[in-house]
Amino acid sequence: MSVDEVAPVAFAGRRGSLMALALRVGLLTLATLGVYRFWGRTRLRRWYWSAVQPGGDPLEYTGDGAEKFAGFLMAVCVLALWLGVVNLLLMFVSLSWLAAPWLAYVLSVVGLIPVWAYARYRARAYMLARTRWRGIRFGMAPGAAGYAGRVCLHGMFTLATLGALWPRMTFKLEKYRTDRTYFGTLRLHQGGQWTILLPAYTPVLVCGAFALASLLLAATSTPRMVWLAVPFGIGALYGIVRYRVLSIRLMAEAKTAGGLSLIATPDPVRVARIVGFGWLAITIVLALPLIGAAFVYALAPAGRIELLLATDPTNPLALLALALFLILYFGLFVAYGVLRHGLITMPLWRHYAESLTVTGTSALAAVRQRDRQAAPEAGGLAEALDIGAAI
Amino acid sequence: MTERTIIAVGSRAAPYHANGRLFDGQSPVAQPVALSFDDAAKTLVIATDEGDIAHQWPFESLRRVPGAAADQLVVSSTDAGDARLHMPGGDARLIRTRAPKLDRRHLRVRRGRLAGLVVAAVAAVALMLAVLVPALADRLANYLPPEGEAALGEATLAQVRNALGDALMGPLPMCDGPEGLEALAALQDRLSPEADVTVRVLDHPMVNAFALPGGVVILFDGLIQTADSAEEVAAVLAHETGHVVARDPTRTALRSAGSIGVLDLLFGDFAGGAMVLFLTERIISASYTQEAEAAADSYAHEALARASISPAAIATLFERIKAERGDADPIVQHFLAHPAMADRIEAARAAVPEGQRTEPALSDAAWAGLRAICD
Ligand SMILES: [Zn+2]
Repeated sequence: MSVDEVAPVAFAGRRGSLMALALRVGLLTLATLGVYRFWGRTRLRRWYWSAVQPGGDPLEYTGDGAEKFAGFLMAVCVLALWLGVVNLLLMFVSLSWLAAPWLAYVLSVVGLIPVWAYARYRARAYMLARTRWRGIRFGMAPGAAGYAGRVCLHGMFTLATLGALWPRMTFKLEKYRTDRTYFGTLRLHQGGQWTILLPAYTPVLVCGAFALASLLLAATSTPRMVWLAVPFGIGALYGIVRYRVLSIRLMAEAKTAGGLSLIATPDPVRVARIVGFGWLAITIVLALPLIGAAFVYALAPAGRIELLLATDPTNPLALLALALFLILYFGLFVAYGVLRHGLITMPLWRHYAESLTVTGTSALAAVRQRDRQAAPEAGGLAEALDIGAAI
Repeated sequence: MTERTIIAVGSRAAPYHANGRLFDGQSPVAQPVALSFDDAAKTLVIATDEGDIAHQWPFESLRRVPGAAADQLVVSSTDAGDARLHMPGGDARLIRTRAPKLDRRHLRVRRGRLAGLVVAAVAAVALMLAVLVPALADRLANYLPPEGEAALGEATLAQVRNALGDALMGPLPMCDGPEGLEALAALQDRLSPEADVTVRVLDHPMVNAFALPGGVVILFDGLIQTADSAEEVAAVLAHETGHVVARDPTRTALRSAGSIGVLDLLFGDFAGGAMVLFLTERIISASYTQEAEAAADSYAHEALARASISPAAIATLFERIKAERGDADPIVQHFLAHPAMADRIEAARAAVPEGQRTEPALSDAAWAGLRAICD
């Protein structure tokens, strides 16, 4: 393979500019009671897309906030009617049959799974339709309903086999999505078999089984066995991270499109380190003001603040306490968003991007533009159901 | 790179000094191009390697593709569809001085359509929250079996106690002084022997009381401490029992079960917690309709009269609270804020049966036990 047929993927964004953007977006979202989040998410996507540069040429995100907002409003019209009536009926049925509300909570969550899968597919199709590289659009063939059905089906298989068929679900769903993805006129293809994921998954199964067995033993006969569950549990947790990274890698390397293919070398240890240190840092930074607030609260005369709030809500001291509480609550919310972008999302994107190389790029000469897809719903359903909170 | 100067040229192609890569919007293969400005015709001239002019993009039509990286500039033209021109980032300044609309965005959604959608969504939510959910909840409340109501009440009480409790101490504690509980049970039995109602006290200084689905009435300790006599507590208890008997709290709790999903939908992640607080506040302040309040009042008047307690006790309690704390107090809101409800004090006085022989609601010892229920 000649050198010019290889296009390594670069990542060109700087953490500082992203965190400044995330801060502006967070504050504007707060100031507009959440309405700005559609424009905010669009701006963040534009940043991430343009930072990823296959062969040195940035991806381009052409979605726009107003379009997303319009899609969200359309989803609200439908979902408001559905959610109100369905939640009420579920609560009624659960209370009349079981004299307990839990069935309603469970059913309203389970009932959302197919809707959630449907919304996810549509959101991905919208996202691809608004993504370009070298001026050429990506796209996704319709198939959201089929995807929702497969998610339910594979989910049941996985549950029924206590997680043993998880790799099969991972692979089949990825194949369904990939085989419907286009770059211009070029169709992507997911090659390989689901069994290529088995070696990566085996440690999860083994550690999980041992952890479960020691818990069962501890519960039934030897309570001391509970300590054995700790190392196996940690092993299973790292195994899951490792499996996720390796499955992305294995499936990426089995993808082709015309003469194009991918070399992917993401490192599970590196990903676990980014995620682990990221969450640790976020927890520490966010815990500091909370500990400070708890300290002030503990110093105040017992019950004084609640008493003021409850009995004399217009007292200046009560208003001050309320204002401080609100600033703390919303300040933490904004800070969390900024830190998560800077310490987790962006480092992960950078790692995945930089460990990817496109090969066989001479095949690009055969690619032609595809027509612009109208997407009035613009992923609004996913937005309304709050899916894909990362960006 | 830094030495490059871009010379303004005439209408003919002249020496080119900037190199770029053009993607024509039809194929992802780059065409190397040479760039220059024609300041007379106000166009960006794009020529092939051989020097033939391939495109002329008017300055007015140039748009920058926004990006995170500063080392290259990607430009499109509103005249050239999907074509993209990649050029060195150092040229951004030269382009910017010429292209007046470089940072303008193309708006894909018309304002009118967006406004229409906002109206439609608000209408759908309003229809749901104000008409459909209440109507359905009111119907269903009549068919809910007693065990279901009790479970709903328990879930609602847990929600209230969590909302009023704090992160360090956990949910708001219930008061269980044995003399106090005994006194409340006796009082309740005397007021409404036919209704299956449990009275509980929450350890909170708020002056308030509310009813829960499944026959539970909650008094706040603040109310017991503010009351001058057991009769005043009895009057509040009788009123709340009126709500229980009419199943008002069941309807409210079912409504909130239907509303919470809809409200969650509207406010993204950050306001979710605030939404739960808002609904809890609705339960405590229990703003029922005017008819429901009137019905609870008349139930209370009858129950008090039957139990040989003066219905006027409620009037003295609320007049005093109103005088001391003003209209903003939650319990004043519940009982008095409705325009027609100023008459309710009068109605309570008028409901005192002619020549009523009253008996103390509680013995002095039982009243002392009730006041100490949270100690
Ligand atoms: Zn009332």
